[in-house]
Amino acid sequence: MIEVIKNKVASSQRLTREEGLWLLKNGSLLDLAELAETIRYRLNPQRRVTFVIDSNPNYTNICNIDCIFCAFYRHEEDNDTYTYTVDQMIERFKAAAKRGVRTVLLQGGVNPALPLEYYTEMVRRTRAEVPQIHPHFYSTSEILGMSDVSGLSVPEVLSVLKEAGLNSIPGGGAEILSDKVKRKISSKKGTSADWLNVMREAHKLGYKTTATMMYGHLEKDEDIIEHLAVIRDLQDEYHGFTAFIPWSFKPGNTPLEKIIPTYATGTRYLQMIAISRIFLDNFPHIQASWFSEGKKIGQIALSFGADDFGGVLEEENVHASANFVHTTSVKETVDLIRSAGYTPAERTTLYDIVAEYGPGEYPAAAINSARLDVKLEGTDLLTALPVLEAA
Amino acid sequence: MISSRTFTFRDKNLEPIWDKVRSGERLSKEDGLALFASDDLIGVGRMANEVARYKSGDAVYFVLNRKLEPTNVCVLSCKFCDFAVRADSEQAYEMTLDDMLSKLRPDLHEVHITAGLHPKWPWEFYIDMVREIKTQFPNVDVKAFTAVEIDYFSKKFKKSHEQVLRELQQAGLRTMPGGGAEVFSERVRKELFKQKIGARTWFEVHKTAHRMGIKSNVTMLYGHIETIEERIDHMLQVRDCQDETNGFLSFIPLAFQPGNTGIKTRNDFTSAIDDLKTIAVSRLMLDNVPHIKAYWVMLTAEVAAVALNFGADDMDGTVGEERIAHDAGAISPMELAKNKLISIIHESGKLPVERDVWYNPIELYPKKEWSVVSKMPYLNSVPFYQEFESHLNDIKIAPLIPSALGKFARDGVATAGPLSLRDFMTVSEDFERLDYGIAVKGKAHSVLLFSKYDWSELKGKRIGITADTSTSVELLRILLEKKHAISDYKFERMKRESFRNDYTQYDAVLLIGDEALRCAYSGGFAGFNLMYDLAEEWCSWKELPFVFAVWAVRKDAPEAVKNDIVRALEHSLKASTGHYAETGGEYGRLLGMSSSQVEHYLNTFRYRFSIDEHTAMAEFEMEYESLKNVERAFSLSADLQSV
Repeated sequence: MIEVIKNKVASSQRLTREEGLWLLKNGSLLDLAELAETIRYRLNPQRRVTFVIDSNPNYTNICNIDCIFCAFYRHEEDNDTYTYTVDQMIERFKAAAKRGVRTVLLQGGVNPALPLEYYTEMVRRTRAEVPQIHPHFYSTSEILGMSDVSGLSVPEVLSVLKEAGLNSIPGGGAEILSDKVKRKISSKKGTSADWLNVMREAHKLGYKTTATMMYGHLEKDEDIIEHLAVIRDLQDEYHGFTAFIPWSFKPGNTPLEKIIPTYATGTRYLQMIAISRIFLDNFPHIQASWFSEGKKIGQIALSFGADDFGGVLEEENVHASANFVHTTSVKETVDLIRSAGYTPAERTTLYDIVAEYGPGEYPAAAINSARLDVKLEGTDLLTALPVLEAA
Repeated sequence: MISSRTFTFRDKNLEPIWDKVRSGERLSKEDGLALFASDDLIGVGRMANEVARYKSGDAVYFVLNRKLEPTNVCVLSCKFCDFAVRADSEQAYEMTLDDMLSKLRPDLHEVHITAGLHPKWPWEFYIDMVREIKTQFPNVDVKAFTAVEIDYFSKKFKKSHEQVLRELQQAGLRTMPGGGAEVFSERVRKELFKQKIGARTWFEVHKTAHRMGIKSNVTMLYGHIETIEERIDHMLQVRDCQDETNGFLSFIPLAFQPGNTGIKTRNDFTSAIDDLKTIAVSRLMLDNVPHIKAYWVMLTAEVAAVALNFGADDMDGTVGEERIAHDAGAISPMELAKNKLISIIHESGKLPVERDVWYNPIELYPKKEWSVVSKMPYLNSVPFYQEFESHLNDIKIAPLIPSALGKFARDGVATAGPLSLRDFMTVSEDFERLDYGIAVKGKAHSVLLFSKYDWSELKGKRIGITADTSTSVELLRILLEKKHAISDYKFERMKRESFRNDYTQYDAVLLIGDEALRCAYSGGFAGFNLMYDLAEEWCSWKELPFVFAVWAVRKDAPEAVKNDIVRALEHSLKASTGHYAETGGEYGRLLGMSSSQVEHYLNTFRYRFSIDEHTAMAEFEMEYESLKNVERAFSLSADLQSV
């Protein structure tokens, strides 16, 4: 089977689901890497790795969906809730822009108290008042929430947002596009079809989006291939996906922690990066996340098919709620890419190159993540077992 | 030959290097530099992974161990060290012997002791330390004191290196850690640790230890101010030393962490690409060092896990101290760490092997759906594994000496392998024979009795035996009692670790495998003037071949696994027949044998069995049965089965 797969990859043929599943289950780590690099260099021939200077703030933590993998959300009656006004958010965007941030990936809980106008206003005023910033706003769950609140259909909501100036949306909320699993971890979040429909409608209207996958909880290899297969099919329709971003479930402070006490390992992450690069032959980019997997594993992922290093994440709260914190700076991001042997290149949200940085060159923006407790992760086998240790 | 695989490399510069590696040719300094210069990390990793598979199969070793640092008071002040302090410092600590003992527990297998160079501690304290640990925890092997400490003891207590090591050895020291090597470069030494011993003294201490039967390890601290060329030179010096003494068990690249040392490095920590490449290049350059260690404490557990596919075959161990007291019955931190190591190794697709300090396997931990096939680590078995490429992902290869295979076959952990004939007899209910094995008609060159006396004079004599196999011991017994009618002799178990030092105290010694072979082709064994080839003795007596080992597979193994093993064996034997010089070339070179000697040696064996071999097995079984109930002073079978 491995020979069949190698021949197909060498001759640019697409793998079937069965072949993908076989490869995920049986392929050696380095077979995966070799195949992934073949495709990576076919699609992105330069030894270049891109990154974006971005921030991931949140406008509210009130959410009515109750996903058991999430440590971020609060209910309205909780005493540590917040919802910022559009004014407050615009002020934060302005401050971020001054520090050199170019993209804001904005997401929040699904808060039924917020009207559609809140969202459109946020986009319109960002475009008007903070033109340096590209708005990369609202996950599919929030868009479905807007549809509920406003009574408009999903295509109508997307059109309204588009008119306000939005042209790209983040790919979060996909988790695992297998209803068997989705029902268990996020029963109120809707089905796989819901996520895919919002994405399809967005792509139809000309939006660019990313696609994500959260693994390392209740899914099986079959579910991962299912996930990759359905987004590959959708990509064939409108080619609206820019990049695929897998990340592992972070159990800290979540109800799912009781069932899945340990982190998925770095090895598993590299398998995910490689299998997605191999299987998603119609996705231009695969993003490695130093943020969710650690800097060293992030660097290694660049040899397993990833060609993008994600954002510097000036602000981030969701993983932080799960006690999972990695921090970096623009300078360090550039250094990490460079010391892994690649030319660092700053990009826009839509993957256009802003600038390449030669030896010794750095972007003007000198941004440090808010938290400064930089620690070399994973040096203790025991820290990776929070629940068992407490028990 | 190391691998029959062909790879397509992104970096074409790797192609000629791979040709050398796969045919077992030693790499040059230029090759090493080209490997580091390559941007094809995966290509470099693939080569290293193949070499690791050739050497260790799918095994990744770990040990239940504890690190003891009895004091941080040190007379040196090396720039890169933020551990050592002066005696009057507030952070200074000194452990008592009781402190140290309280950190240990009986289920550990190794204690790793290194300490600052204390200005006041007396020599007796170090001796007591080793002796007390060995006395109170007989199962814990003491791996203690770097060359830096040994040299310090030598100067401070006015004893030669050899004297220091001898006294420690007598107290129970068995192996030494590899620290203090840093980078073997005078330039770096002058800049970072000029008070510390240089390469010359470091190697002097280790060579002395090796000659005394103390095995050791060797580290390389990288990622500070050293150049790539200095790293390669470091490896070459290790390789030269190993050619001379063969005493290093493992090579351990250590990623430098600046911490509070004040040393300026380019980044806060080494890049993961550099970490993996350094592991891989070490595996490729150090063809004569058995193991490459991914020391997770320094690399991070995550990177160490990935390194297991880049040439590393050892993860060190549980290392940590008991951090929290736990109630009886609760799972201990050590158990947790062990389970975590096992799951990391599983996820890398490798077979976790718990080892002792000598890399003897104590326990195998395959996933339940895996089948474990033994790879006999002897030259005469190489033809079986030439192209032993399993098509089944669930078959994992573990290097097991015959007695270990016998044990794991009896335990039900090993699925298949060339079982020593005597071991096969103990498991024949659960295992079925395949038509493959190792037999010989005539000389075998690797089952040898070195003796000071003729057969007829061995009456009442002491015969030393090793723990490697039970078949050859039984063969010797049959020959003594049935062929030569000698019943009054004494078998004594020799210790593996005291290897060779005390062999001459015996009247005769039985050596098998590569150890015997080395002597056979280098003209004998000093101190013993006679050399008997036991296979030849049997063959001329019985006019039958002698069967050392027979391939057998568990009867309840899945059919697919059985078929795959037979297919892989057929494939390997076909590929190696007629090419023995090439097949065993690399292996023979490390034993000091020429390729024509290797060819000659391998040509003596019969690997496919026919009626002759089956008759010979029956004959051996009959002879064995007839002696089974004869009581001797030394109860052999029971003892060997406990190995």
